[in-house]
Amino acid sequence: MSNVLIVAPDRCIDCKKCELACSLHHAGSLDPDRGRIKVLNRGVEKGMPVVCLHCDEAACLIVCPVGAISRCDETDAVVLDETRCVRCKACLAACPFGNITEDRVDGRVLKCDLCEGAPMCAVFCPSGALVTRSGPRPLRSAP
Amino acid sequence: MSTLVKIKIDEKEYEVPRGRYLLAICQENGIPIPTLCHHESVEPWGGCRLCVVEFRKKRWDSWWTELATACLYPAEDGLCVWTRSEKVMKARRTILDLLLARCPGSEVITKIAAEHGVYQTSFAKREGEDNCILCGLCTRVCDRVGARAIATALRGALKEVSTPFGEPPPDCLGCLSCAHVCPTHTIGHTEADGKRTVWGRTFELVRCSGCGAASVTREQVEYAVRTKNLSPEYFVKCDACKRRESAATFAGLLFDERKGGEGPVGPTGSGPSHE
Repeated sequence: MSNVLIVAPDRCIDCKKCELACSLHHAGSLDPDRGRIKVLNRGVEKGMPVVCLHCDEAACLIVCPVGAISRCDETDAVVLDETRCVRCKACLAACPFGNITEDRVDGRVLKCDLCEGAPMCAVFCPSGALVTRSGPRPLRSAP
Repeated sequence: MSTLVKIKIDEKEYEVPRGRYLLAICQENGIPIPTLCHHESVEPWGGCRLCVVEFRKKRWDSWWTELATACLYPAEDGLCVWTRSEKVMKARRTILDLLLARCPGSEVITKIAAEHGVYQTSFAKREGEDNCILCGLCTRVCDRVGARAIATALRGALKEVSTPFGEPPPDCLGCLSCAHVCPTHTIGHTEADGKRTVWGRTFELVRCSGCGAASVTREQVEYAVRTKNLSPEYFVKCDACKRRESAATFAGLLFDERKGGEGPVGPTGSGPSHE
């Protein structure tokens, strides 16, 4: 059992508070570019939040040459250990969904870690597009 | 046999797993220890010697202490460690004096030396442009990455980090891991017009088929596809374009079922794919 981040794009109002909350929590500054979640626009006040899917067979985890990306036992999230990262950018290129980005300010690799089980984006989402629910991770053993 | 042992660091007791290296314990507990050659992605090496600490084992006489590099010394029961004793600071000052003689131009070394009260070297300064301290971190990380393109060459005063025969390295992936981990930032590299140059070799960067942005070299992609069995499709586009594509795909999947399609997706206005 762990917290699951549920994304409901039909509720997203494109306010980008999740990007701000993420960047504030992880980078300490309110800079949407430094957030690990991105909201793409799909119409007036309609957004499409794009965030790491924590894939079962994560390409980033497989491609990392130094073992800096691993699956967290507690939260089931695919997490990046920044002290191990050598910034080769292989994960950034390998992620098929484009959910790993580079921090323009200090060159760090930005990867969602589900905030150790309590995602800040969901806390600050005003419309319910991002919510956390406790339960087993869906699609865990799906073919 | 319990795996937790009691050790003392700077007269304060800690309970730590047996065999855990002292540097890791100190870093976890916020005890500052200077180090240059340590990186979490590789095994500890003890190359720069800067993390020396003074220690005494339980079975030793109380006056008998020794110096050891914290990064390589495992915790055992009854170990007493001092991280800032006079003996330690003297050893660190000597090391920094020597490092300062080796690379007088390095900002990193100058800063750490000044923090330890060493403002200029008492040895003859080495002549040379690079700030390499021969800690070997770049070669270890290169081995870990799997390229094994660089290594230390020659011995004694002539020792240097080098590519095979000093020529552009054939096995290099151009990933710049070595340049990132180098403690003195002395590994030069340039990047312009979709080309990256490091260790005297020029690499072609893989351009995104959508927007032309580039972040990794062709060698890196080929290496990942060859050794990790990943689809080459993953590397065709940049992260921003892939993000737009996945958003469009999800929008298409979600909103086609419910409302028969939504407005355009993404800043470029490419519509959701109706497949």
